[in-house]
Amino acid sequence: MTAVYSSPAASDGLMPRLLSQVWLLARQVLWRLPMLILVSLIVFVILRAIPVDPVTMLLPPGATQQDIENLTAELGLDKNVVMQFLIWLKDAFQGDFGISIQNGSAVSSMVAEALPMTIQLLFFGFIAGILLGVAIGLVTFSYRGTRVEKVILSINGIMMAIPDYLWAIILIVIFGVGLQWLPFLGPVGANISIDHITGFLTLDSLLTGNWEGLGSSLAHLILPSMTLALVIATPIARMAYSSLTEVYREDYIHAAQLRGVSSKRILMFHALRNASLPTVSLVGVQASVIIGGTLLIESIYGLPGIGSLMIKAMRSFDMQVIQAIALTYAVTVQVINMITDLVLFQLNPRLRMQK
Amino acid sequence: MMAYIPAWAVSLIKDNNVLIGGGFFLLLLIAAVFAPELAPHDPNEQDLLAVLLPPMWADGGMADYPLGTDSLGQCVLSRMIYGARVVVIIALTAPVGAAIVGSILALIGGYFGGRADWVINRIVETWLSFPAVVLALILMIALSPGLHNVILAIVLVDWARFCKVLRADVMVLRQRDYVAAAQITGARPLGIILRDILPGIVPSMISLMALEISIAVVAESTLSFVGMSVEPDVASWGGMISDGLNSMYSSPYPLLLPMVAMIFTVLATTFLGQGVRHVVDNHLSERTQGA
Amino acid sequence: MGHSMAMAETPLTDFMPMEKKILLQAEGLNLDARIHGKTCRVLRDISFTLEAGKTLGLVGESGAGKSMLGRILSRQLPGGFKVSSGSLQFDGEDLLNASDKQHREWLGRRIAFIPQEPMTALNPVLTIGQQFSEHMQRIGVAASECREKMIHSLSEVLLPEPEQILDKYSFQLSGGMCQRVMIAMAFASEPDLVISDEATTALDVSTQAQVVKLLRDMQQKKGTSVIFVTHDMGLATHVCDEVAVLYAGEMMERADAKKLLQHARHPYTRALTRATPELDGDLTVLDTLDGQMPGVESFADITGCRFAGRCRFCQPSCEESIPDMQMLDQQHGVRCIRIQELQQREDNEEKVPHKTGAAFSDRHILSATNLSKVYSSGNSKQKDKLALAPMDFHVAPGEFIGVVGESGSGKSTLGRLLMGLEEPTSGEFKLNGHALGDDEASWQKRRSLIQMIFQDARSALNPRRKVGKLLTQMMDSRPHQRLERRERMFELADNVGLSKHAVGRYPTQLSGGQRQRVNIGRSLCDLPQVLIADEIVSGLDVSVQAQIMNLLLELRREHKVALILISHDLSVVRYLCSRILVMKNGEVVESGETHSVLKNPQHPYTRKLIAAVPPTDPQADWPLDIDDDDGSSGKMDGI
Repeated sequence: MTAVYSSPAASDGLMPRLLSQVWLLARQVLWRLPMLILVSLIVFVILRAIPVDPVTMLLPPGATQQDIENLTAELGLDKNVVMQFLIWLKDAFQGDFGISIQNGSAVSSMVAEALPMTIQLLFFGFIAGILLGVAIGLVTFSYRGTRVEKVILSINGIMMAIPDYLWAIILIVIFGVGLQWLPFLGPVGANISIDHITGFLTLDSLLTGNWEGLGSSLAHLILPSMTLALVIATPIARMAYSSLTEVYREDYIHAAQLRGVSSKRILMFHALRNASLPTVSLVGVQASVIIGGTLLIESIYGLPGIGSLMIKAMRSFDMQVIQAIALTYAVTVQVINMITDLVLFQLNPRLRMQK
Repeated sequence: MMAYIPAWAVSLIKDNNVLIGGGFFLLLLIAAVFAPELAPHDPNEQDLLAVLLPPMWADGGMADYPLGTDSLGQCVLSRMIYGARVVVIIALTAPVGAAIVGSILALIGGYFGGRADWVINRIVETWLSFPAVVLALILMIALSPGLHNVILAIVLVDWARFCKVLRADVMVLRQRDYVAAAQITGARPLGIILRDILPGIVPSMISLMALEISIAVVAESTLSFVGMSVEPDVASWGGMISDGLNSMYSSPYPLLLPMVAMIFTVLATTFLGQGVRHVVDNHLSERTQGA
Repeated sequence: MGHSMAMAETPLTDFMPMEKKILLQAEGLNLDARIHGKTCRVLRDISFTLEAGKTLGLVGESGAGKSMLGRILSRQLPGGFKVSSGSLQFDGEDLLNASDKQHREWLGRRIAFIPQEPMTALNPVLTIGQQFSEHMQRIGVAASECREKMIHSLSEVLLPEPEQILDKYSFQLSGGMCQRVMIAMAFASEPDLVISDEATTALDVSTQAQVVKLLRDMQQKKGTSVIFVTHDMGLATHVCDEVAVLYAGEMMERADAKKLLQHARHPYTRALTRATPELDGDLTVLDTLDGQMPGVESFADITGCRFAGRCRFCQPSCEESIPDMQMLDQQHGVRCIRIQELQQREDNEEKVPHKTGAAFSDRHILSATNLSKVYSSGNSKQKDKLALAPMDFHVAPGEFIGVVGESGSGKSTLGRLLMGLEEPTSGEFKLNGHALGDDEASWQKRRSLIQMIFQDARSALNPRRKVGKLLTQMMDSRPHQRLERRERMFELADNVGLSKHAVGRYPTQLSGGQRQRVNIGRSLCDLPQVLIADEIVSGLDVSVQAQIMNLLLELRREHKVALILISHDLSVVRYLCSRILVMKNGEVVESGETHSVLKNPQHPYTRKLIAAVPPTDPQADWPLDIDDDDGSSGKMDGI
């Protein structure tokens, strides 16, 4: 809009607006904490049923009965489940997630080491997926009422049905093995080393000016990111398309048409913002599915993220690692949900106005 | 006199999606039921002299192994036929289980509201905000492999989706004047739930169950792909894909064939689900009921 | 009663023929639709002339096709609809064949629309200012003047604090305010033609009168022509210069607006006026019109007059061919072949005097003392909402009581409290003189004596149960009475005028009027003494409304049942009720005998409500200037 019309927020004054934003953010965080604790509790209880005794697994074969009792007490396993959980929770708040039974190192550092890989994958996957999805949705909508619309919709429907791990294999078979265009195993080429700064390979190679490393790490990310992007894009495409269709049935679109507003302006100014509301919500709802997808994608593409770590931990019944990664996944979902909530809040005045 | 066939049944039979999806599923069902008769070999029989054979039509194929063998010399066709059993059982049981758990909680929460509803709603929100694959995997570690446990794990993961949708339905129906009208005729809560609420959520329930079929099938295949599903000696497509991936360079068939089967099954169950939902929307949803 | 010859001489004296400029002219317009492979003529032979600065009313019940003309003008016809023949001239140019570009040029600049639902016609994510300035820029207002002009426009439509309105979103305004915004936008370009499609229907009565007044003032100020689409004949009489009555896609009659009501000649128009309750004049029994309007898909099967199926004067020749519009004089046209002979007969018909439902005795079946309801906000910051201030209430056998008020007045709360659907904050009930406790026996007694009829029959009837079961729903808990139940469903169906076949159907298979009958019949199952009815005739077409009202009176005669009628429609209350309560903001501001309250209202709010109803006399000046105390400032914040 032009200068004719001043934004409604401008009149509120800067300070109260800032304060309300801070309060909003704080509320978003506080409101999610109980959910994270509940997730941890559920996982904790489930893991107590593991048919393996962690104490014997941690001790060397020749351990005495005394050793076993000592370790049991040390791990707090002689207390009831609730107490155990509270102890775990207290430690977790201090960043201590116990030690891994696989190699005896601190779980927190194992997760911290693996996390950048997963975040990188999510970052590229999300960007590519949202762009692709919105683009498909818009193209489909622009062909509404034609055969092209139907064809795109059915192809999209078929693609949506294919699960993430199959996409990974399909892309490997086509682009990795068949056409041999792209690498598909590991985070970076075998004979390339990147200095560790942040743990994000692409960022680190950029910071150290390691162009070969940058190219290789990016190339290794393309297929995994595309796999994730496909999982994200198909439902977004359908939602973007159908919410645009819905919006065009609304009275205010008709009213704008009756005022003679051009069709391009109706789409850009009146329809897109309304249609984006359910699409953004969908990203929030799908966040858990998408993040779940990284687990298999990482393990298939051999990326050392927390998904690969999780699978390894599961095979060796490494409870502490499983527990910590479960919480990490839950936090990631909540962070994405928080972002989508904040975006929605900016897009939808109705949410902004109710206090 | 012709027997009376309800309109929704006619549409169900005439719906292309239902026909394609249902037809394929029927084939799977037959394969699963008659697996011992149809399979040329025992699925676990290893022929170490005939490892990684291509299908019979390719060079070096043997008629004895129509679709070739895997890295352990097991008959791919037989394993796929036996693997269909897992698919069919999961497809038929998991949606029902999830629907039962989800709808009971939805009815309790949605109708009575109050504290019970608050608790149920919190749990559902938490459940849905946690990656389903991860939860299912964690459950499977605790439960140990086995078909019953897989079904249980899928039900325990997916009930929340049913509960969320159906609870919203119940709350809408709860506000309908006809519920108030029933209350002033002196009907009791159970009577109102059974007569006025439950029939109203059945269409959504059917749609959700139809869509859940493909979700459950995918979930099982994902679990078995990671090796966290049925016992190792039970053939499953996910496990075959996982094994096939390891021997991909030596022979692509043990990877591609179960993958194709998997994709077709997922598509078929998706078609079936969408078709059923379409018919339900057109015939059983409130605005068209009885018309 | 004027005869046709006399009427022909009266008009056309006020203005010189030279000044007439024809803005919009339709000639033999036919609109076809393909439905189930058949071609149905949705609009048949529509012709009219609209002069510059005049208002044409299109009146009809739902399904008459009155919105279709607007859709032709806006080129927003539903899929499969097509104008097959006829012409439509807009200011001398062919509107039907104009290029899309040309047409879009006209929209918003020369042709403007005012929608039915003002709240949803404004984009919820854009402020009023964003949408208005978009429109202003399109019609060529310079950016530098835009804000000033918008504020001017908004103050023209009497919106308070227009600067602040610009920064609001539609959901922060009331329906009446949104409609003012729409009117301001519509008139901003000083268009030649404004189409108002039921623009006041969704509003409260007093807001409706204000908006109508505003629309007329704007029209006169800018010299605009208006097409006023409405279902309300009385409203059209006062708003329009000429009125056309549509029935099933056919223009049955058209005449000077001031004359149509009293000189209606077409059997349908006459039936419609005779089925409409009035707010003044003698109370006479309303004639009802049986059956319902044929649906679009059956148009193809009707060979003759489309009203023939419901016409009292139908004879075989009526169904043979489509009647032509016969012009009785320059303005008055009637589409009926029996027009001449019917004139004599109808004039001789006498109107039967009518009595409202008065109490049979002084006994109180139900009484409530000190009844009140406060909704706690559950939050210390917000105030609790007073839904009903403490009041006393009683009903005598056979007494029909009207509870009148606008939305938010607490009238529905009163009904729900009496029924026991909501817990009162204070108050005691007595049934037939005995105090009512909270035990199960008391509740059973209450339910057997009082029953409620819900507003929206569509929502009040479980769509998955058959009509018979619904009628006897109260016997659900008495499974041993299976045979009695079967018998009772047919009795009840008969009581409320439903055929035997209806018992085996689902509610969705019935028409709106039939559904309302089921809704009423259900409440009668256990022979209650008091019925509480919440707006049960407000959503119905006039002819069906009259059927239902007469049914209620009949039930009173036969079953001695009393009725508490919650309504916003004073005419309906006047026709049915002997006693009236006027409510505002949760308080009873006036009560008494309907007759005397309406004749001599004491409270200003009652006067305002009465003033908001279009008077029967077409010459009366209406709407008058209504003091604008709360109609527009009612809802500035929140939902």
